[in-house]
Amino acid sequence: MRFGKKAALASIATAAALALSACGGGTSGGNSSGGAVNGAGKTLDVFIGKSTTFPQQQQQWMDDTAATFKKNTGADLKFETFSSGNDELTKIQTSAVSGQGPDIYALGTTFTPTAVATGAFAQLSDSDWNALGGKSKFNQSALGISGPDKDHLYAVPFSSRPFVMAYNKNLLKAAGIDKPPTTWNELEQDAKKVNDPSKGIYGMSVGYKDGFSPWKYIWAFSEQQGQKLVDGKNANIANDTVTNAYQTYFGWLTKDKVVDPASVGWTDSQALANFASGKSVFFPMTSISSEVTLDKSAIKDQYDYALMPTSINGSNPNGGTPVASILSGDNMGIASYTKNKDLALAFLKQVTDKDAQINYQKLFGDLPTNQEALATFGSAPHMAGVTDAAGKSYATPFTGAWADIQLALVNVVVQSIPDLSSGNVSDSNLSQRIKTAQNSAQQSLSRAK
Amino acid sequence: MTTASNPAPDTRLAASAASRGSGPAPAPDADGNNPEPGSGTRRGLSERNRPLWMLIPGGVLMIVVIVVPLVLGVYISFLDLDQYSLRQWLSAPFVGVANYIEAITQSGILRSVWLSVSYSALATIVTLPLGIAAAVATQNKYPGRALVRSIFLIPYVLPGFVVATVWRTMFQPSGVISITLHHMGIDPGLFLNGPNTYWVLVFVQIWSSWPFIYLLALSGLQSVDHEVHEAAALDGALWWTKLRYVIFPYLRGPISLAILIGMLNHINNFTLPFVLFGLPAPNDIEVLPYLTYATSFESFRFGLSAGMAVVSLILVAIPLFIYLRAVKLDDAETPGGRK
Repeated sequence: MRFGKKAALASIATAAALALSACGGGTSGGNSSGGAVNGAGKTLDVFIGKSTTFPQQQQQWMDDTAATFKKNTGADLKFETFSSGNDELTKIQTSAVSGQGPDIYALGTTFTPTAVATGAFAQLSDSDWNALGGKSKFNQSALGISGPDKDHLYAVPFSSRPFVMAYNKNLLKAAGIDKPPTTWNELEQDAKKVNDPSKGIYGMSVGYKDGFSPWKYIWAFSEQQGQKLVDGKNANIANDTVTNAYQTYFGWLTKDKVVDPASVGWTDSQALANFASGKSVFFPMTSISSEVTLDKSAIKDQYDYALMPTSINGSNPNGGTPVASILSGDNMGIASYTKNKDLALAFLKQVTDKDAQINYQKLFGDLPTNQEALATFGSAPHMAGVTDAAGKSYATPFTGAWADIQLALVNVVVQSIPDLSSGNVSDSNLSQRIKTAQNSAQQSLSRAK
Repeated sequence: MTTASNPAPDTRLAASAASRGSGPAPAPDADGNNPEPGSGTRRGLSERNRPLWMLIPGGVLMIVVIVVPLVLGVYISFLDLDQYSLRQWLSAPFVGVANYIEAITQSGILRSVWLSVSYSALATIVTLPLGIAAAVATQNKYPGRALVRSIFLIPYVLPGFVVATVWRTMFQPSGVISITLHHMGIDPGLFLNGPNTYWVLVFVQIWSSWPFIYLLALSGLQSVDHEVHEAAALDGALWWTKLRYVIFPYLRGPISLAILIGMLNHINNFTLPFVLFGLPAPNDIEVLPYLTYATSFESFRFGLSAGMAVVSLILVAIPLFIYLRAVKLDDAETPGGRK
């Protein structure tokens, strides 16, 4: 009996110790005691997305960045990577709850409002901005999704991937068109001119089944027509502008027939593959990351990027904005629990300086958010349209409800795909689905704090 | 789990015996003796002083791994926990059963439950004869039996992610299945969107899970004694009579276990629909795990989705409860388990 009790206690203690040590994993090696700006002996933990397209370059970039950081501050730099947005959210959740984890997170632009809503990121003060080189060193439009307004910024713009339209120069020229379209109407007409289904050539490649892409069209159409999808606490989705936006988007397939009918099953990467095989003239809503695929494709000498259309017919009614793209790319946020804020600012200064940003572009293709660095790329091949778009990118609404709204907008397309495939999305079905989207967006906005 | 009918000390014995599973447990009988705590009969000593403390490490792990998260999950289901309150989640507003009410009245969970249960039951019903037939077909020795048995297991050993990815590729609008059907003059419509998705889900589930039934049915067949086959042959039973009245009764145990576990696996299957159809899900296959996932990780309504998870826990606990009751009854009637 006595032995039993002792052993019981011992095993409880062991198990408890095991459990505790398991929970303790994931602390950064940072020294908790405060100290000088000099970071000798400290480690800064940075959490960034894993690059599947450029794994070697990314490793090289991490090593180089860490070496420079060590030279500048004396501190070590440790990178952790995540492979999906979900990975990252889980990490933010657990770190936010436990108050320990990475010091810096790379945040996708449209994910930034959600991440900020968790309260896991501290607002950046003026002195913080000065420490990392001042707000003025950034492309000003890139700051648009760093916080809800100019005076409340939580994240530092790091890289930019504006959305553009890839087009096939040869096919366009063959149809007697000398420059890419600048309005949605022109796009439709040009696409019709090139369209030749009997030869398997279509006007556009569109990924209707993509889980992200569709909402960007709807957002752009609405902004250009002066209709904000989110107005304070109100969702503004069930209206004629949005309905027209969906009708135009679906109409390319059902009415204009300038899209391959198979595209109801395509994600964006399949649509890109279709465009890369020379079977269409336009691939709208893509980014510079498609360059990797296109440069290896049969049309590597025939493609270029242009601005997405910025209006329906040349003007933006109701005070609409000629948006070419959402603000897309990566921000970096400093965790509010960090004990290495000085180091974090030093790191952000280092990676957003001109030369580092130019180097990053050369490795990964993402555009700089540093104004001076950005200016050097306008003349590089394929870059004119892209840098142009970087200046004409606008922020999506900065609300914690945005993830839900995005999902609701895409859901309209997902549920319409069977109709789309049969050749007609009826007005009643569409308005029913838009109503559903409106409700779920409103529900989410009403909860927003 | 245990029927707490008598609070006598031997309840604990019965409980521990039951917890040891279906091994040949000696039926715990009081034997007329009443082993009072501290009383010193030899039999009482050996049974009462069994080293139960050895269960502690496992017990502690179970508490840490299962009980604590479960209790937390239930607690969270009473909180209004979302991305705004996540950081100080313990002080998230307590909203009682509001999450459950919202889940039932607004989230479409009832429809999801219906989809989950019906798809799961359909898949189970179809896999049952397939699995049994395959087991019977590979029971007797013939050249190449080992190969056939291995081939049968392929769907089962493939990870769900791989299965779903391959089928998704084949079911695409320009995929091999649509094209084949098209050449045969059939226009099936879309497989990965719209009403067909439900049947695609059932079909792929059947494809990937019938070998499980096969495995358990095979193990049941293996336990049939040689004498039984002989006796049946001597009595002149033909194959169907033999199968129906001699062999099948042996399969009842393993098969009912297979049905139960199969059902639960299907109801809990998230990988398959998620990889096949992506997010947002077509309405026709918004099964319960899907809805819970989207609520949690797309809409960040952690409280609400914890409520949904509790609902699905209750849902899977019902058949589990019935099964455990059934197993225990069997155990008590025939000590040592059914042969």
